[in-house]
Amino acid sequence: MENPKETFEEFKNSFNYGSRSDLNFKFLKNLSDEDASRFFQEILWKMGDVLNDGDFSRVVEHIYQTQAKAYAGAGKFMYEDSPFTQLRAPLSLLRLGLISSSGHFVDGNDPKPFGVENMSQKEAEARIDDFLKVEPQLSVIPMDTPEERLLVRHGGYDVRGSMADPNVNFPLSRLRELQKEGRIGELASDAYSFVGATSQLRLLNHTGPEWVKMFQEKQIDVLLLVPV
Amino acid sequence: MEAGGIPTVVIGVKAFRNRLTAMHLPRTVITPHPMGRTLGAPGDHETQRKVIMAALELLKNASSPGTIVDLPGRYQFENF
Repeated sequence: MENPKETFEEFKNSFNYGSRSDLNFKFLKNLSDEDASRFFQEILWKMGDVLNDGDFSRVVEHIYQTQAKAYAGAGKFMYEDSPFTQLRAPLSLLRLGLISSSGHFVDGNDPKPFGVENMSQKEAEARIDDFLKVEPQLSVIPMDTPEERLLVRHGGYDVRGSMADPNVNFPLSRLRELQKEGRIGELASDAYSFVGATSQLRLLNHTGPEWVKMFQEKQIDVLLLVPV
Repeated sequence: MEAGGIPTVVIGVKAFRNRLTAMHLPRTVITPHPMGRTLGAPGDHETQRKVIMAALELLKNASSPGTIVDLPGRYQFENF
């Protein structure tokens, strides 16, 4: 080991963009040492049960509960009220758009963050601080894009789930099915995705308003948002 | 978006419920799924579909901003 005198606090923090970076478990840094040590002990205890019956759901539940505890705070962005627009017609008559902070893009249309072509997921993870300083780049993704042409890269979460099935946070296929069934009148010609780990203030004050203008020009009537 | 005349609905995970609530978003659907897999497990088309349907229902029914719907259930891998 690099640091033989590593403390428990350093160990738990190392999962958060440190030497053991693991985006599924970066939340460990938000926990007290006591809560984090309980997390490890209980996960091992539950793994012992899995050895007997093969049922992993208890492990999934344990991870989920601990993740929720780690993110339980209200965060930095608090508002008292928000603007609100009612639907002007039934959904069967409206054009629906999709925007997700999942980090998807179409194969052959790489947003090339910082000019880097084919940036790997690992590199995006390593450059998270750079991503957090700049405005997000919006990837335009035609609504009829086949799943196999979708790629994903995001330094803020584990993308393996969205690689296996983009619909976990960028539900193009599900939307197309629902539109075919007539539950949605029309889908916008394009959906949108960007890396949500980005400068939140620039997104709020500059990028966002520009996107709204574009959605209006595209005559999007109603919008589904999936923050990751 | 809403100020620009476009009604919106946000789908987020329960781990971020407090943060999403603090943002006082117009309409929010909360799913019991882990971060990064907001609509359900890879391949769980049925759950993914139910989540979108819940979002569409909320678009139809919400009458004031800050409306939140919590979806029941657990993250699961079986039955698909």
